[in-house]
Amino acid sequence: MAEDFERLSEIRAEDVADLCLGSVFLATGGGGDPYVNKLLTEAALRTHGPVAMVSPGSLADGAWVLPLGEVGAPTVSLEQLPVGDEPLTALTRYEAATGRTVSHLIPFEVGGANSVLPLVAAAARGLPVVDGDGMGRALPEAQMMTFAIAGVAPTPAVAVDYLGNGVTFDTASVDDYERQVRHLAMAMGGMIFTAEHGMSGAQARDCVVPDTLSFAVALGRLLRSRRGEARALLTELQALFAPSIYGVVRHLYTGKVVDIDRRISGGFDVGEATVAPVQGVGEPLTVAIRNEYLLARSGGRVLASVPDLIIVVDSETCAPINSERLGYGQRVTVIGVGCPPHYRTDAALRVVAPRCFGFDHDYVPLEDLAAG
Amino acid sequence: MSLRIGIDVGGTHTDAVLVDGSEVRVAIKARTTADIESGVIDALQQLLAAGDFATADVRAVMIGTTQFTNAVVERRELTPSAIVRIALPTGRMVPPKIDWPEDLAQALGDHVFMLHGGRLYDGRELAPARDAEADAVIEAIAARELDCVAVASVFAPVDAEPERAFAARLQQRLPGVRIVLSSTFGRIGLLERENAALLNAALLPFAERVVDGFERALAARGLLCPLYISQNDGTLMDTAFARRFPALTFASGPTNSLRGAGLLTGERNAVVVDIGGTTSDIGVLRDGFPRESNLGVAVGGVRTSFRMPDILTLGIGGGSHVTVDGSGVGPRSVGHRLLEAGRAFGGDTLTATDLAIAAGHLDIGDRRRVSDLAATTVRRGLAVIHGRIDEAIDRMRSSSDPVTVILVGGGTALLSEPLTCAGAIHRPEHAAVANAIGAAHAEVGAEAECMAPVAEREAVLADLKRQASQRVVAAGALEDRIRITDVDETAVSYMAVPTVRLRVKAVGPLDLEAMAHG
Repeated sequence: MAEDFERLSEIRAEDVADLCLGSVFLATGGGGDPYVNKLLTEAALRTHGPVAMVSPGSLADGAWVLPLGEVGAPTVSLEQLPVGDEPLTALTRYEAATGRTVSHLIPFEVGGANSVLPLVAAAARGLPVVDGDGMGRALPEAQMMTFAIAGVAPTPAVAVDYLGNGVTFDTASVDDYERQVRHLAMAMGGMIFTAEHGMSGAQARDCVVPDTLSFAVALGRLLRSRRGEARALLTELQALFAPSIYGVVRHLYTGKVVDIDRRISGGFDVGEATVAPVQGVGEPLTVAIRNEYLLARSGGRVLASVPDLIIVVDSETCAPINSERLGYGQRVTVIGVGCPPHYRTDAALRVVAPRCFGFDHDYVPLEDLAAG
Repeated sequence: MSLRIGIDVGGTHTDAVLVDGSEVRVAIKARTTADIESGVIDALQQLLAAGDFATADVRAVMIGTTQFTNAVVERRELTPSAIVRIALPTGRMVPPKIDWPEDLAQALGDHVFMLHGGRLYDGRELAPARDAEADAVIEAIAARELDCVAVASVFAPVDAEPERAFAARLQQRLPGVRIVLSSTFGRIGLLERENAALLNAALLPFAERVVDGFERALAARGLLCPLYISQNDGTLMDTAFARRFPALTFASGPTNSLRGAGLLTGERNAVVVDIGGTTSDIGVLRDGFPRESNLGVAVGGVRTSFRMPDILTLGIGGGSHVTVDGSGVGPRSVGHRLLEAGRAFGGDTLTATDLAIAAGHLDIGDRRRVSDLAATTVRRGLAVIHGRIDEAIDRMRSSSDPVTVILVGGGTALLSEPLTCAGAIHRPEHAAVANAIGAAHAEVGAEAECMAPVAEREAVLADLKRQASQRVVAAGALEDRIRITDVDETAVSYMAVPTVRLRVKAVGPLDLEAMAHG
């Protein structure tokens, strides 16, 4: 029986690098490059001390949990830096707009930059974070969060842009909210910060994907300490994932990136990567991208699809590669991981199945698909 | 005959080889001198004395140098330089040099400036430029008498106009100042591009001295053939270009030594450990080529945007300082002063080379001068060196299986005991001059680039690959060995039709037969 990972009671500055590395893996290509946010978060935790972390199950009914993060096209995060105070500004504006006192912060998604942004505000305000998130991975749109699927209202929500402009949203549905917030991101440089889907402790206990921050730290630690060939690391990854909410880990393909066609469209990074055998001939693999890696196909067969996780790693080091960092000539291994059970319900599949992204494919769980 | 001279100017030694086709005719080692130039003159003199050839028959001299990398790693020969980032209000809490090692940041001086302006991803203005703010920065640069300035604006790969506008303003007020624009280093990634531009700026005066010295050295020995400098991807640049872009030589040393190690052993898959005077560089040969890093590579602790071989650099070399009890080795090094400063050579600095001499692994200098060293000091120091290199090999190999290791460079005597990670260990003939051999077998590269509507992307990309390949053949490469090494794509804004800028680089080995007849 594989050993379970450790649940942390706080996040220290020394944990941030592992948290970021593990998060990039779970982000399935999206979530944004964490490098700059890692620097900001480490600085905040060094200044203010560690941030306490509580398990979602321990939340009191009357707690008020606020998800915080950035919304936009990940490519932008490589080039356009944050001002640095956006997470705290978003929190302050949310409290001013709603009159509520926030007791806990939580990431939208355990993905790239977004895993750590709540820590910046939490450290500055001395608030705890919840060990979990609203996706257990990264996904591009607001209605795909487990918070929204469970019926938590997205608004009142606030957004802050790089100029410090603030916008308050009050929408009838999460679909309207997603459309509005996306257009605001496009209009204001491709990246904004939002505080949204505020919820009570009782609601959070029901819909938070639990323990994912602790899991990301454990995963980051494994990837850092066992830097080495992706295929050789597969057994250890399987042992770490098996007792978690994810379960199955499967090797899908190993090859070289021969084409990457990607652009910013409608506020997302959209495109397709083609991976072909390093030597000789063989069916190439294509990975469809909409911020995240969504569908892996080879020879007319689907090898894995959203909401299961598709991860592209450096073949030699097993370092996960974000979609905006994927480049011609890289030797990569593509890995599939089962999604948290939260995404396998009918209600969830109505918003996260492959057809929601325009693919002509019905979701089949990774473990039921024929292996690559 | 197709005679070429390959020279490697390292921190400690200046090596030179005379090659004819793929055959090494003569190999010599000279010492790197403080002025660099006289070391190259000495190396050429030794080569001329040892080889039976006429200078008029030499077709080209190729120089690889770690001087610029070493300058950054050792924080020396760096000119205090300004960095002007045009991105405010973004990045206020993430200023330039935020993640630099303290000592390197200080070596360039506290000359960080941030201005409003730059672009958004869609080409729109991020914030209006403020002339008064720009002029205040220019006056500060003037008052501080700074000669080198790097300029980086957000989304410069999409539109470099904000960088050019500031540069023009600066040039008008201070005509003599050297300006490096981040947009000349391509790629999306502001922090990495800004770092590359700033390091390049700080190296410019040193680059001018070094390249001038190379040219004088060749002239002094009657060599009138073209002189080329190795770049980080193993291709060559001419001297005018090298004066402006010294940072493009970063990692050219490891690239040359990896390729040299492959040429000397015929191994196509191995870990190569190049032990020099100041550092050890550990890299990987995969299918005969240096394994590239997928991420921006750190130079002296700073992330940059260069495409480079995946190299782990340890501050351990023949000239590394060793503490009295042997427990500390490097990263400070006596460098080119090894043969004066080392204990075995009459100096008073205990170096890694002294340990190898005391242990009887190396027979140079005067062993009696190190006979007073405690046996525990020698043992501990060598164990530290073996342990750290073994650990580095373990981090670089791609599986836990024992790996073939090729030892090259001038300091291979530091490693005389078994390594737990290694299967076969090669110590090839001419190992000490592997870099110079790699330099002499440098490849040629060429780029092709254009803007294309997104709809025509596939066809244009295929055409660019063809064009770049043809240019490499025209530059003297073998047609059937050309490979595409890089494709870079940037979405271009402010166009009516969605448009991308595509850039393709092709590289190939020189056709030595054609050179002989050409």
